[in-house]
Amino acid sequence: MLALLFILFAGLGIGCALAVVAQRNPLYSAISLVGVFISLACLYVMLAAPFIAAVQVIVYAGAIMVLVVFVIMLLNVEQEERERTRLKFLVPAAVLLAAVLIAEVAFILVSVQEFRVTPTSTPSDIGTTYSIGSQLFTRYLLPFEITSILLLMAIVGAMTLARRGGLLPANARVVPGAQQLTLSMVDPAVQPDNLTLVETDTTDEAARLLGIDHRDKDDAE
Amino acid sequence: MDTAIDIALKFAAITVAFVVVLLIVAYTVLAERRVLGFIQGRLGPNRVGYGGILQPFADLLKFILKEDIIPDKSTRFIYFLAPVVATMAALMTMIVYPFGPEIRIPFTTITIPLVIAHFDVGLLYVLGITSIGVYGIMLAGWSSNNKYSLMGGLRSSAQMISYELALGLSLIGVILLAGTLDLAQIVENQSAWHGMRWNIIFNPLGFLVYLTAAIAETNRVPFDLPEAETELVAGFHTEYSAMKFALFFLAEYINMFTVSMLATTLFLGGWNVPFAEDIFGRGSFLFGIVSAIGFLAKVIFFLFLYIWLRGTLPRFRFDQLMDFGWKILLPLALLSIFITATLIFLLPNYF
Repeated sequence: MLALLFILFAGLGIGCALAVVAQRNPLYSAISLVGVFISLACLYVMLAAPFIAAVQVIVYAGAIMVLVVFVIMLLNVEQEERERTRLKFLVPAAVLLAAVLIAEVAFILVSVQEFRVTPTSTPSDIGTTYSIGSQLFTRYLLPFEITSILLLMAIVGAMTLARRGGLLPANARVVPGAQQLTLSMVDPAVQPDNLTLVETDTTDEAARLLGIDHRDKDDAE
Repeated sequence: MDTAIDIALKFAAITVAFVVVLLIVAYTVLAERRVLGFIQGRLGPNRVGYGGILQPFADLLKFILKEDIIPDKSTRFIYFLAPVVATMAALMTMIVYPFGPEIRIPFTTITIPLVIAHFDVGLLYVLGITSIGVYGIMLAGWSSNNKYSLMGGLRSSAQMISYELALGLSLIGVILLAGTLDLAQIVENQSAWHGMRWNIIFNPLGFLVYLTAAIAETNRVPFDLPEAETELVAGFHTEYSAMKFALFFLAEYINMFTVSMLATTLFLGGWNVPFAEDIFGRGSFLFGIVSAIGFLAKVIFFLFLYIWLRGTLPRFRFDQLMDFGWKILLPLALLSIFITATLIFLLPNYF
């Protein structure tokens, strides 16, 4: 029964992993990757590590891949047919790396056969929520804190990149209908800290005042 | 042999649970239309059967018989996959909720637990499957090859990512109080004080944040931006018709049902009914029945709340939605964690 389930999930995982690299459509690849994560989570459950399985699904399938799919949808990469020939020089490199990988796996398999260790059947609570929590907040506290600071740095970095340019103050918005702009934006002569609001009635007027072209190329035609 | 019987029993339990849930969901749709009718000063559907009692089946028949239109330039495979993912993810969380305590069949010693799967990390499982559910909507929006659908899908994913954070954080308080992620254990912990030691007493802020974020997660009014009909025709399911549309419809109502069950389980004591244990005695048949009915009543209260909100609240604007999620709900969720943790630290004997 367990072997059957293992074959099912492992096969699903390998199939999805192959699909990730084989698909031409980036969205199909992304969905296949979600499939890989979910089958991995199923395997974790079978290995008595339900916490890792749940976190795998929540973090990778539920958050990171949602963002990836989001970006693919926004950019709509499907439209541009990429050239197949451009990356041809990478093929020998890929073959070489694949050979190294297969050699590694073969080595591991052989060494497992050679130096067989009889597994001790002591009950283990590794992988349960309790053991992970207590280890994380005692023995591995420093790496845990450092990781969170690393993530904080990434957030700050993303904010800095996104905010670069600083064209508009926080209270200026281009919303169709009533526009509210600060006086300092409308008239360069006044002090930049003059935040008196100026109202415009249409998006066109607001865009003209801001000096940006808000119209799409389609509309201009 | 025992495994085979076990598996057969589990399948039977899952089937029963799904059928019951789908029936309740079907009648939630009817209730929604009748209650909305009442709120808006009209009757609502009352012709099919006594008081409209057969309306869900008439609707189902209509969905099956309608023409199934598939847009020419859709991405076919994903277009078919999306409603399946949405419904499956909605149904999958059903198996970890404890609908009631162990029930003993009268005159025998056989006990049946009213929960399908006892899962050590049930709460995380629910969160994980819920986060998979967003793919259904996103993929539907993308594969339809329609700008309205795409806008709906994008809005939905942005909204669900944002509100998932507040939702997850609002549950931390309950996890702190219970000290476990096992839903059955969390319910057991709330059965003190004659079945009234509900987590909402210690963590009311977390409850409110959860309730708000859960409405946003299920794309219901006032957070139904992904399908705002005044702006996006019908949002992500614009191009879906017949049974595929019915699957999205179903998924939305099942999601309503599951978040209501989670709210009941985590904050309102699950199947604990005040004084039921003193009257019927623990482990008796009647106790099980009364507890299960109590659970259902609390869930139905939340469903009614959803319908009530839909009848009375206007829709957010999208930037308001984002501001509310990130600048108000998220800090409030953090505050609720802080308050709960402080309580537990100061009064360790009570928790």
